[in-house]
Amino acid sequence: MIAMLLSEHASGALVAASSSGPTWLLILGPAGAGGLYFALWNYYRNTSKSHSFESETRIEAKPVTGQDTKVNEIKDTKRSGIDGANGTAHRTRVQRLDP
Amino acid sequence: MTNLPPPGEGAQPPPGGGARPPANDTTVGPLPNPTANPTIDTRNERLGDGVNRCPKCGSTEIQLRPSVGMLVCLFCRHEWAEARLDETISNGDLTTLSGTTMGSGAANIDTGAGSLITMKCAGCGAEVVVNTAEQMGARCHWCRHVLTVNEQVANGAVPDAVLPFAITHDAAMEKIREFAGKRRTFADRAFVNGFKPENVVGVYMPYMVVDGNVSADVVGSGEVETRRYTRGSGDDEETFYDADVYQVQRHVDFTVDDLTIEASSERGQMNSALNTNNVINTILPFDTENAVKWNASYLTGFTSEKRDQDVDKMSPLLENQLLSIARSQVASSIGQYDRGVRWERERVQVHGTRWVAMYLPVWLYSHFQERDGKSMVHYIAVNGRTGEVMGSVPVSTGRLLAAALTVGTVIEGIVIAMLGASR
Repeated sequence: MIAMLLSEHASGALVAASSSGPTWLLILGPAGAGGLYFALWNYYRNTSKSHSFESETRIEAKPVTGQDTKVNEIKDTKRSGIDGANGTAHRTRVQRLDP
Repeated sequence: MTNLPPPGEGAQPPPGGGARPPANDTTVGPLPNPTANPTIDTRNERLGDGVNRCPKCGSTEIQLRPSVGMLVCLFCRHEWAEARLDETISNGDLTTLSGTTMGSGAANIDTGAGSLITMKCAGCGAEVVVNTAEQMGARCHWCRHVLTVNEQVANGAVPDAVLPFAITHDAAMEKIREFAGKRRTFADRAFVNGFKPENVVGVYMPYMVVDGNVSADVVGSGEVETRRYTRGSGDDEETFYDADVYQVQRHVDFTVDDLTIEASSERGQMNSALNTNNVINTILPFDTENAVKWNASYLTGFTSEKRDQDVDKMSPLLENQLLSIARSQVASSIGQYDRGVRWERERVQVHGTRWVAMYLPVWLYSHFQERDGKSMVHYIAVNGRTGEVMGSVPVSTGRLLAAALTVGTVIEGIVIAMLGASR
């Protein structure tokens, strides 16, 4: 169990470190320790678990409809993704429109 | 679900052939009928409060036999079951659901109604008190008859239906032992030393099971990468991006069947810093379509928790979950936005709902932990129908830290050795 969790975290850190120079490899020790601690803690406590009602409820949906309108262009940005992306954060609520 | 075409220049026609109005059109779908708020009578008129006898021999020694899901008379071994609730409330076409419909067992709770119910024993005339906050029957202390609460009362204790336990005590015990066994090494020593899975308790928990006919709209921004390039070299090399920005609107009409929501305010509070109610929530869903009409004999030998939430109080939570479902439904239509989508506004229109109060079966193992003046009850819960198990096992911080530091030190040693060898 520990070996599995460790290898998962260590391999991720290794890739990150090797691409940024050997000095950064030194962060692997603390990162591995921290990663193992939180992975094990989550395995025991399961605080992030909840009923996946979005997928585990019987839902009959009609085809999704909508519009896509180009409104702007961005040039020379260093951001690799849209600011505040929440396309997969289904439970994050945003401003409610009146019904 | 349609695959939306890739975004292009200017306004796009509504995907799906334009059969639907745009997202900002508020006249979507059928409007709720304000007069259609009927109550479905789910009373089990064959039963009353007090003595309820075996239909074959007349004994009151009746209880559930989980392995077959039947009530069994402990005297004559006659077995029978109540009718499934679905035979009373037909699902019908959920797309035509309008207004708010509820079972008579889901009616608003009378705040003046207490949990204690006094019943007159039909066997000897004695008065027997039942605390419906925890149980739905009691044995007459004079004549030994079993008395049960079957008439729907205003305190919310008698629901529309009950889903009987199908997982036995032994099976639940084994699942809890297996779950905790995998989490023994770094568990709090008090938990390990006091672990007695035979103490698992069967509890009927109160839920609202909701059908809904819903429309939802979401509006936001999406970005599509058009160019990626680098500037500089070596350590100064940086990646830059160009992107097109789109306003994204989506609309979806859907129905939900048997969305299950906690009807106890205490269990509905899910704050992992204060409690472990989320593990009980995680073992959902139940096969609620197999719930049967209320008969308190299903609860004999088990405890129960009384509903304390009304439909009105639960509606905001329902809308919240419906919005999450809507966002999940439209997720497959935004795949073309490779830089992601930021939803900014959302709307849910609930055209119709149907609420049914139900007791659902949960095996609960609990461990009370007190540390640094803070207390928490850790649950391991087993779904009394499917056997799905989830739990919170308190950790030994010292053991966990020792393991993490040991592993971290070993990794660091290897890294230092590698760096040393490469110079």
